[in-house]
Amino acid sequence: MGVQSSSRPRVAESADDVNKRAASFHPANGGDMKRRVLLQGAAGAAFLAGGALPASAQSRAETLRYVTGATINTLDTTMPGATREAFGLSMNVYDRLFSFGRKKVGENWAFDPDTIRGELAKSYSISPDSKLITITLRPDATWHDGTPVTAEDVKWSLDRHVTAKSLAAPQFTTGSLTSAAQFKIVDPQTVTVTLEKPDRLALANLCVCYAIMINSKLAKKHATADDPWAMEWMKTNTAASGAYIIDSHKPGESTVLRRNEKWSGGAGGALPFFKRIIIQTVPEPATRANLIERGDADLSIDLAASDLPTIEKSAKSKVVSIPQTNGFTHISMNTQMAPFDNLKVRQAVAMALPYEDMFKAAIFSRGTKLYGGTWATVPPDASFPQAIPNKTDLAKAKALLAEAGHPNGFSTTFAFTAGQTATAEPMAALVKEALGKIGIQVEIQKKPDAEFNTLESEKKMPLFTDGATAWLPYTYYFFYLYFTRDQRWNFASFKSKKMEDLTLEARYQTDKAKYEEGCKQMIELFNAETPLIMLWQPNHDAVMAKSVDGYTYQFYRQADFRDLKRV
Amino acid sequence: MLAAILRRVGRRLLASIPALFGVVVVTFVLMRVLPGDPAVFFSSGPSAGKEEIEELRRSMGLDRPIPVQLVRYLGEVATGNLGRSMTTGQPVVVDMTRRLPASLELTCTALFIALLFSVPMGVAAALRPGTAIDHIVRMLCTLGVCVPTFVSGLLLIYAFYYLLGWAPDPTGRIDIFAGAPPDITGFFLIDFALKGDWEGWWAAFSQLLLPACTMALFVLAPLARMTRASMLAVLGSDFIRTAHAMGLSRLRIIVAYALRNALLPVLTITGIVFSTMLGANVLVEKVFSWPGVASYALDALLASDYAPVQAFVLLMAMIFVMVNVTIDVLYGIADPRVSVA
Repeated sequence: MGVQSSSRPRVAESADDVNKRAASFHPANGGDMKRRVLLQGAAGAAFLAGGALPASAQSRAETLRYVTGATINTLDTTMPGATREAFGLSMNVYDRLFSFGRKKVGENWAFDPDTIRGELAKSYSISPDSKLITITLRPDATWHDGTPVTAEDVKWSLDRHVTAKSLAAPQFTTGSLTSAAQFKIVDPQTVTVTLEKPDRLALANLCVCYAIMINSKLAKKHATADDPWAMEWMKTNTAASGAYIIDSHKPGESTVLRRNEKWSGGAGGALPFFKRIIIQTVPEPATRANLIERGDADLSIDLAASDLPTIEKSAKSKVVSIPQTNGFTHISMNTQMAPFDNLKVRQAVAMALPYEDMFKAAIFSRGTKLYGGTWATVPPDASFPQAIPNKTDLAKAKALLAEAGHPNGFSTTFAFTAGQTATAEPMAALVKEALGKIGIQVEIQKKPDAEFNTLESEKKMPLFTDGATAWLPYTYYFFYLYFTRDQRWNFASFKSKKMEDLTLEARYQTDKAKYEEGCKQMIELFNAETPLIMLWQPNHDAVMAKSVDGYTYQFYRQADFRDLKRV
Repeated sequence: MLAAILRRVGRRLLASIPALFGVVVVTFVLMRVLPGDPAVFFSSGPSAGKEEIEELRRSMGLDRPIPVQLVRYLGEVATGNLGRSMTTGQPVVVDMTRRLPASLELTCTALFIALLFSVPMGVAAALRPGTAIDHIVRMLCTLGVCVPTFVSGLLLIYAFYYLLGWAPDPTGRIDIFAGAPPDITGFFLIDFALKGDWEGWWAAFSQLLLPACTMALFVLAPLARMTRASMLAVLGSDFIRTAHAMGLSRLRIIVAYALRNALLPVLTITGIVFSTMLGANVLVEKVFSWPGVASYALDALLASDYAPVQAFVLLMAMIFVMVNVTIDVLYGIADPRVSVA
């Protein structure tokens, strides 16, 4: 440990426990009194942090060099077209009102959607009918330019997210946050959010990447009549209060961050360990692997799977593998297109797939299986994604296909995107072979990313594989997002009145038992209808120097530099 | 003499305008004919629905008929506005002015290294055709041309960076931990030299050496082979025999008489090689994380990001024109008989 950490107790982990009690969405026991939860666990730590060393020349040990194949294309995450790398940057540079906590998954850390702690908020309370959220801000919070964070700024930011033509607006509708009238300033430190119905995702939506809190005085200076929300200016400038301040930003090359010494939004008010972060775009995965192995770079999360075994053996680096708890890889069948509109055909495909072989060949068994569940029709719990009772049974698959009126099979195509070649290509070969055994002739189609996305969005592919992750991994949200409505993320174009009703019911359900019962019914329906075949949750493989610790898997699948430290 | 050259350059530049116009139109249409919808690709956020995609399409101006888009684009190009890149979020002009010097610096250095080795190799092979030297040169050229640049690049990185540790890490133009380079011309070697910062110059040079060598290896073959063939032809001609008969020194005959005459076809090839290198060094740029225009254009192409690809093709066409004009002028210097044409 360096000088930095010995002068200042690290309280982040213990603070998480304090916050565990903070945020369950449902007032479980009738909610007869206003609950008020103190969020900032160890306030004392903030004072100690204030006496930290002056920002001198940062040593290599206090600098984190993160290499990535992708590009940060905007500093405003709400801009349409923002890349995942831009989401990651935004989490470190901007504060949100709330933030998810983290929990141990095996040896490692992953975000915890059931724990919500304040970031710019000091505390919050929810009214008994769950329709009014009162948020109190941190009194000591300041913007990067030194001015204090006020309720006016928060109101302006929330108004922007529901009003401006950005990606935040559609996201916020999933939490019933749709109009500026819902946000009211009570006093300079307090804001209220009014909901028409007790939407269970209102608070969680204030944690996501889009829910940035903006220095409204600064942003308004750069607003124009055509652009009242300063969207243009914020693409290349920041008006933030987060843990890191952008020192330099060269898109497609590098971005350098320095620590905001006045940041108070951390768990327990602790400052992040690293004083300087260098985010560098290195397009070639082999070069990224070389850099990490040589110890010249500290962190990368997008290496080729084939490089991982070497790195696991290396002396200077390690691999942290965490299941992507909010994601799933699937094979989708277009339920509105013959022959996959026939349930028996879908079930036949689900029984013909060689799951074990695919799991090994595609992702080298690095992940969690979502097949081979041990239940038959009723799921054991309300969690999702969970293992679905699919297993290989060629005889039964053949019989089902015959029942469906295709005793001699049929011809179809199986598509995947070029960006996923490494995992999808071996999988495609196995799918082709297995379906060939029951008489289905498969032509494999590898499509450029943009073309694949277009076809997927227009629902023109009969059979394809893709991956998905939900920012808000609640069972109801999964089904709402991926299995209802005619929209892009309904991969299988699944249409079911029952599913629509179930998700609608669950959304505003405040009774926990009833909610879980509804979720189980959704899983049951999903299993019975097999609109798509769940394969696995691939691991999120973060490769880092041996000295780096505390890596946490986040819902947006990027590195959160605030979690990391060097030991 | 000078006036004649300038007139010729002016005429050539004017004559190239229709060609450039054609290039702009063809790329424009081609990009829109390719499958893949940029609006869908870029609105791939978790909450992007149909309306968001439509909104993005509208803001990119893609909701209008292609002829209308083309006219608007031509107008913008005429005023120097090449659009905004969705991949980097910056105006294309800004990206290009930052990245073009990087590509040019790499290509020029690589070409310089290639010429430094290939011309003597070609001459040596031509002087002793059929001997061991000739065969060695032939073998080196074959090796250079048949190993793809990303393989030779990765091999060089593996040997000099990973195993030996002699080269700095192959990421970009300057050590990421070092301070920002002076920003005068965008060519780091020139900028550091202008400032007299020789430590910085060396740092930039050592970053440049490995990618430049990788590229030089690849173009060694055409240059050396062309030098050899053209030298052989000249060495067999009458005036060389006369020079020998006159008793001139061997060095003088080879350098002043043979080589100068043999260089004309080599110059032509150099021009072509340079233009090809600039566009085709995308693999080298990728392997060495070189922030150049070629890798920029490739990323944009994969993402169906129209503006950067169109700008890149236009830029390449312009550079091709410039290089051809320059080669013409150099022709005149190498062989005064040509310049009057």
